[in-house]
Amino acid sequence: MSSIRISLTATALLAALAFPNAAHALTKPELVEFLKAVDARQKNNGDWRSMIYMEQKEKGKVDVAYEALVFRRSEDQKFIILFTQPKASQGQGYLRIDKNLWFYDPSVGKWERRTERERIGGTNSRRSDFDESRLAEEYDPEDNGEVKLGNYTAQVMTLKGKPNIDLAFPTIKLWVDKETKNILKREEYALSGRLLRTSFYSKWKKIYSESKKGDTWYPGEMRFYDEVEKANSTLIVIKNVDTKALEANLFTKAWLESKSR
Amino acid sequence: MANFFLDFRIALRSLFQHRRRTIFLVSAIALVTGLLVLLNALSTGVSETMIRAATTLSSGHVNVGGFFKVTSSQCGPVVTEYEKVVKVVEQSVPEMAHWVHRGRGWAKVISDSGSTQVGVTGIDITNEPDFKRVVSIVSGNIDDLTQPNTMLIFESQVERLKVKVGDAVTLSAQTNRGAANTVDCRIVAIAKDMGLMSKFGTFVPVETTRTLYQLRPDTTGAIQLYLKPRYVADASAIAARLRTTLEHAGYRVMDPDANPFWMKFQTVNREDWTGQKLDVTTWEDEVSFLTWTLKVLSVLKLVLLTILIAIVVTGIMNTMWIAIRERTREIGTLRAIGMQRWGVLRMFLFESFQMGIIGTVAGAVGGSIVAALVNLAEIKVPLGVQLFLMSDQLHLAVHVPSLVSAATMITVITTLAALYPAYRAARLPPVSAMSHFG
Repeated sequence: MSSIRISLTATALLAALAFPNAAHALTKPELVEFLKAVDARQKNNGDWRSMIYMEQKEKGKVDVAYEALVFRRSEDQKFIILFTQPKASQGQGYLRIDKNLWFYDPSVGKWERRTERERIGGTNSRRSDFDESRLAEEYDPEDNGEVKLGNYTAQVMTLKGKPNIDLAFPTIKLWVDKETKNILKREEYALSGRLLRTSFYSKWKKIYSESKKGDTWYPGEMRFYDEVEKANSTLIVIKNVDTKALEANLFTKAWLESKSR
Repeated sequence: MANFFLDFRIALRSLFQHRRRTIFLVSAIALVTGLLVLLNALSTGVSETMIRAATTLSSGHVNVGGFFKVTSSQCGPVVTEYEKVVKVVEQSVPEMAHWVHRGRGWAKVISDSGSTQVGVTGIDITNEPDFKRVVSIVSGNIDDLTQPNTMLIFESQVERLKVKVGDAVTLSAQTNRGAANTVDCRIVAIAKDMGLMSKFGTFVPVETTRTLYQLRPDTTGAIQLYLKPRYVADASAIAARLRTTLEHAGYRVMDPDANPFWMKFQTVNREDWTGQKLDVTTWEDEVSFLTWTLKVLSVLKLVLLTILIAIVVTGIMNTMWIAIRERTREIGTLRAIGMQRWGVLRMFLFESFQMGIIGTVAGAVGGSIVAALVNLAEIKVPLGVQLFLMSDQLHLAVHVPSLVSAATMITVITTLAALYPAYRAARLPPVSAMSHFG
């Protein structure tokens, strides 16, 4: 009898070691719902204004820091980044209208069409890092089980880009806090499968949004580590968030141009 | 005819009689000719080096490149179904000696110690004998570029990346759909620098560019056409004809724009079209950002030449005036014993012509020897100059037609410089000339 008990215990232990997360495995629809919840938590359903501070460290180069204002409107996915610091970059900005990203440089007075996956200000950040989260729209999730990440219990999932959607990173691995559904860590991979960027979201903050009639969560601080050029990193701090309605004519080329006059 | 040779001999004797003056003038003419030969050699040398480097590294004499736009805001330097384009090209350009196709792209090369942005050219090394002949390998084996995921870099990139043959580097770029991608490559060859273009150029097998940018096997970056030597100067006309032929064959062709392909991304991105458009360029278009050095050299040559010729012309005219004054009695005597005015004029023109011939031949020979010595010395030029000379050493190219034209031009100018003094000498009345004391 005791030998049966021992063998059962050993089998259970082996199973637990071999399949540590078997008990917590989520089905595909559950994962999709989970991902939608991650998006919904960050959605604002209205206008958004914030100030961002970006600091880029690159090996062998002087550190670069920017301050910029971010404006966005959920309704038609319009988006603006207007650089305010340093002086040399004042008035430069990105404008996303009709699914096109434009860059304006007041020193040349020209608009240039840029790819949606442009590195913002030459840092390792992308437009999507400042925009509303659309993970469930853009990716199909796969379950990677649960792990402990510090004090948090994280749901790990691999997201694969949906067909016919152009994405900067075709594969993403995500660590999401099971309790709050805030993203804790994110790894982004190239088509070749090589890890390109690891991001850590150390501070999540919330603000009450009138348009959403509820709280909108946003990462107060993001740290991006370049995994190809190991010494390079980017720090993003988001502050002074305001969800009040913006001027109707704000998302225009004329408005952005007027800021440098 | 007898008079003609007689005048020629009198002129020659006169030159020997006034040896010091003759030596001075002939030396001045030789110096100017020598300088002209050297300036021509420098300008031809730079031009030849530029053509050689451009047509080896980044261009054929004529190129059929183009852009493919997945969406109106995303373009890649891609020619789809390039073999069909080649068929049209082969029918339309009988002046073509051969063609090659190359992948085009822009990527970040990352090593353990550094990184740099470079142009990535996909190359089929087995079909590029000229490339192998022109690129000078200092380390490794260029034939290893037949192996997948290998790379050739230039010496100046070695300094930035701190790598050697056998080391691995990562190529990181965005595909034409904007997705991040990487390819790990092994460095198989390090080549000697070839000026500015080699600072930012690397070569990988064409398959590697296709993998990096996720392109189909029937795509390439550009078809490079190499013309038979006698047609190289006609590259612009051939490009214009090819543009029309491709349009008639149903291809959309971009308007002529004398810029390299990598300067056209912004323009193409701004335009609202999708799909394929071909772009026909010449080697001069692809290095237009450098050809200003040739223009500067030409202007410099013209200015220097004008100053030097002005000095020589003034010198010859003055010397002739002095000679005529010194030899007024001799002219009077010659006229008195039957020499016609035309004979006097011819005699002085012969003197000048003979000085011109001797001086220019000496100058051409001297200039050629100096140019040969400079080439033999393999003089290294500073980095700033290298960028524009497209070579790390000074190369002077002396060609016989250029020597002949320089010598002929200076001889004609020196002869013509004596025309007015000779005419005045011929107009002297014999009686007053004989009684002249000066």
